[in-house]
Amino acid sequence: MEIRLLKKGYKNNEQFYQDFLEDKVNSNEEYFTNDIITIPDAPDFPIYMGRGSEEEKKQAFQQAFEVIASSYIQTDRDLHLEEIFWHSLLVTKKRDYILENYPVVKTDMKQFENIVIKKFDWENYIYKCVLAAEYIEDLIEDPEEKKHYYQLVLENLDIYNYIIKYGIFRNAEFLVKILTIIDELKISNIMKEKIKDRPDLGKDERYGRRVIFELNKKYPVVMSPLLDVESLKQEVLQALSLYYDELNLKSRVPV
Amino acid sequence: MIYKKDANFPYPVLTNTSTSYEEPSFLLDVSLEENTNDYRFLINYEVSSPFIKKLIATGDAQAILIIQSKDNKFYKLDPNQTAIEVPKKRVSLNKRTSIQLHIQSNREIHFGENQDLTSFYDAFKSEIIVPNNALLGYSNIVVFEGSIQNPLVLFEKKLDEQLTSDIRIELGVETIIIHYRKEDYQFTGVRSSQAFNNPYIYAGLRTALQRFIHEYSEQGEEYVDLTQITQPENLLDFKLYQLMTKKMVQEVSVDNIDEVISLISDKIIEKYAGAVKELIHNGD
Repeated sequence: MEIRLLKKGYKNNEQFYQDFLEDKVNSNEEYFTNDIITIPDAPDFPIYMGRGSEEEKKQAFQQAFEVIASSYIQTDRDLHLEEIFWHSLLVTKKRDYILENYPVVKTDMKQFENIVIKKFDWENYIYKCVLAAEYIEDLIEDPEEKKHYYQLVLENLDIYNYIIKYGIFRNAEFLVKILTIIDELKISNIMKEKIKDRPDLGKDERYGRRVIFELNKKYPVVMSPLLDVESLKQEVLQALSLYYDELNLKSRVPV
Repeated sequence: MIYKKDANFPYPVLTNTSTSYEEPSFLLDVSLEENTNDYRFLINYEVSSPFIKKLIATGDAQAILIIQSKDNKFYKLDPNQTAIEVPKKRVSLNKRTSIQLHIQSNREIHFGENQDLTSFYDAFKSEIIVPNNALLGYSNIVVFEGSIQNPLVLFEKKLDEQLTSDIRIELGVETIIIHYRKEDYQFTGVRSSQAFNNPYIYAGLRTALQRFIHEYSEQGEEYVDLTQITQPENLLDFKLYQLMTKKMVQEVSVDNIDEVISLISDKIIEKYAGAVKELIHNGD
């Protein structure tokens, strides 16, 4: 499939939004550069998981992981990690899918900007899914194991977001090791929990985020992304014990 | 993570500005080759300290290459390893990319035997014990600013209504010139006009490479070993030479000419086929 790339200037652009709704973008040369990129296949997948029940969100994520893993991450990163590629694809080829699945776009330009042409960073759902798919597909071979790790990402979205938000730990091996450790120690619930009675830490602090924060502080004297799982596990537990009542931790975590 | 500033460590770390080592230097040089699917990073580094060198040679420490672009990638290097290959589907260099080499301990390291430290450490270096997985040194940062050579700069398009054929390929001083008799033949104004011109590009590359083989092959041979010839003085040939060596082509011959074109031309036929399919599909 050939995709024409959009020219800058389509964001915060009321006319562009109207033309999208009226299906007039593709026929207007003004919106495009001369660049055209080609990908073998560009199937539909859920692009926004900010709405619906928890179950609906999970299903949407799973579907997105699957499609992105099989059809998009085989392209060069020059495409699948570029904002302009995704925005051009969505606007020029996915209009019908978007209007059908995210009808709120029809009535609210803010929603259009938030769902369709959102900045391509860790808060963008496609970005989240692309990195998870790359990391898991590259490091995990067994198909059942892959499913398990996608599931772990979904069960630990808060810490996943935190890991991909900060450049230092945005790394395939590190993500997979941290998920492995959370799974083995069964500390998913603790990691998600808000830290109470520590007003000094800020409003929405969670144990998992503080663990990553502590690993960050120790780096590079301890190069945690390169540690083996067992050594990293000790580092995680040590960091967690700085915040979590140690007696309580020992009773919950079999080490 | 890449170190841009001097960081404080509780033990001596070898860097280009270290105050713990006598005459410290840890120089990294990285050059880049690419083909259709991969980047190959050629790594050359020089560590001033014999102590650190020995740790690397014995495996007690390890060099780790860090490539930071969209995310961080770590590559553990064997003691004599000088290159790594990374598929383009997993690294993109179109934005600024930083590369640094770290030396990391593979076991507890005792600094008592380190003769390369400044005399400041003489009295107590035997007490310095650095744990496993710790940073022992980091290099300068090599930066790629992005945007790799595009084979299309090799070409010029010209319109010549007096032409006695529909198109004509001319090998110019430093470009391959494609003359068209009618503007229509360039598909200007048609969507994907660039892709539709790819068969002409293909023909142009073939013509230029045939001359290249003729010019630089040994008498009576029909191939050129690119590792054996000196850089061509002819500007067009020099561009082709650079393009081929960058894409890891070692030999170009009458027999592999089409293969070479596909290596140096960034999927032109695939793009052409895609454009035609799209056109048929849309029926316009």
